[in-house]
Amino acid sequence: MSKVPVGPFHPLLEEAEYFELTVDGETVIDIDMEIGWMHRGHEYISEMSSFTQSIYLVERICGICSTSHPLACVHAIEDIDNIEIPDRARYIRSLVGELERIHSHLLWLGLAGHFIGYDTVWMWAWKYREPVLQMMELISGNRNHYGMMRVGGVARDVEPEKLPELHKHLDMIEEKMKMIAKIANDDPVLKKRLKGVGVLTQEDARNYCATGPTSRASGVRGDVRKDDPTDAYDLVDFKEIVLSNGDVYDKLVVRVLEIIESVKICRQCIDKLKIVKGSFWNKVEQVGEGEGCGRYEAPRGEVFHYIRSDGTNRPIRHKVRAPSYVNIPTYEASCKGISISDALITLASVDPCYCCTERSMKIKDVHNKEVPDLLTLSRNKTEKIRREIND
Amino acid sequence: MDKLNKFIEDMGDKISHKIDKKRRFYFNVKNEDLRDVVEVLWNEIGCRLSTATGMEMEHGLEILYHFSDDETGQYYCPRLVIEDKKNPACNSIVPIVKGAEWIEREIFDFWGINFIDHPRMERLLALNHPENLDKPLRMEDKK
Repeated sequence: MSKVPVGPFHPLLEEAEYFELTVDGETVIDIDMEIGWMHRGHEYISEMSSFTQSIYLVERICGICSTSHPLACVHAIEDIDNIEIPDRARYIRSLVGELERIHSHLLWLGLAGHFIGYDTVWMWAWKYREPVLQMMELISGNRNHYGMMRVGGVARDVEPEKLPELHKHLDMIEEKMKMIAKIANDDPVLKKRLKGVGVLTQEDARNYCATGPTSRASGVRGDVRKDDPTDAYDLVDFKEIVLSNGDVYDKLVVRVLEIIESVKICRQCIDKLKIVKGSFWNKVEQVGEGEGCGRYEAPRGEVFHYIRSDGTNRPIRHKVRAPSYVNIPTYEASCKGISISDALITLASVDPCYCCTERSMKIKDVHNKEVPDLLTLSRNKTEKIRREIND
Repeated sequence: MDKLNKFIEDMGDKISHKIDKKRRFYFNVKNEDLRDVVEVLWNEIGCRLSTATGMEMEHGLEILYHFSDDETGQYYCPRLVIEDKKNPACNSIVPIVKGAEWIEREIFDFWGINFIDHPRMERLLALNHPENLDKPLRMEDKK
């Protein structure tokens, strides 16, 4: 038996995690995980900050979810006093939230393609992600960390003359996503490579309290946008994507189909912004005493914030739970019994917000032979399937 | 009768200090009743555990669980108050909800609450802390 350590640190990482795979031959028989390598104390800092500062603080928890955290945070603060927001702000919030989902899923799609040796998918996905960042820049002035959320509404309006350009970009993204969905459906190599790999059963998804595309690919329905709708989600039409196999292939398909649904939501929000006029912010002078739960369906699943206030201008408790926190433990169920060459894509399939997948140390097994890194093993397996199918 | 009202009726004296806000239901529960309440939330209502929040208050340590009923969007938030700050302990809910394993370890990490019957009661975030912490990260320990 060999131990394959993955992580925890890499010079390119914004965060670190550590996985230790125990392998017998080529089969993963156990996995251990350690987190907490980079505890940044966001909750504690937030409790020393004003409510307004907290929103900008939590925006910096994650570069990809830089709308999801502030949205869940303002939902929690608004939940304390049942604060209502103007309709125009509701559409703007959902528009920005869905654009974030599109760019996050495209980022994952590109990385997943790269891990299994589909570098064309990687380059395409990231090429199509670029216009989404441009749309964000058009709306907020920033490609990341948009600073759009505030208690009672949003921080800035979307100017009407910008709306046609947003439509143009969305048309392109929808067309390309339909193309990628077709590729996923037609490509025999991709199907053989990903179907049945890293299966998370419906029972395990529920037991581990998994969330987002990770649980929906396993047949467990649950989407905050449908279940506890805030902002414009009860005013727009969209489908909740739920599949049943729980393997990496279904996790990929869920995300591709969700992008197409997100484009639909964005279009509806943009159309409504042409009609719904008025204020984009209700001024909130003071947050009262009490407690509030806020949540939002981030690209990776439910992000949850709990805020308790004693009536002063800062929270006395601010709890943050990101979706990866509940999705990463599912590896215990999905990794056992898989081939080492499938470990990388299985770890990546929950989109764990960790960039350290490349960080596999080269180790020697008991026979003193060097074990190649996980990326090479994964890409070699795809190449082998490709050759078999072509022969 | 809707799920929430049936839950309140079924739980009877096991729950107290009830606060019903829009789709958020907060209530207190005693340690000896915690698993019974969680059993109903998890198995009968079909809730998912979002997370649990540990808090240090003047009157003791609090654990506030956040169970989400995804069918209705209703949050059930049982609150457990532990007055003994010197040796805080309560029943683990991991035997019922496996997904609570990391959540309880984190609360143990920060507030030193010992969860009885937890399969791996050790630090989570500060497991590899360079200062080899031997105390929870509570306010009173900072003074």
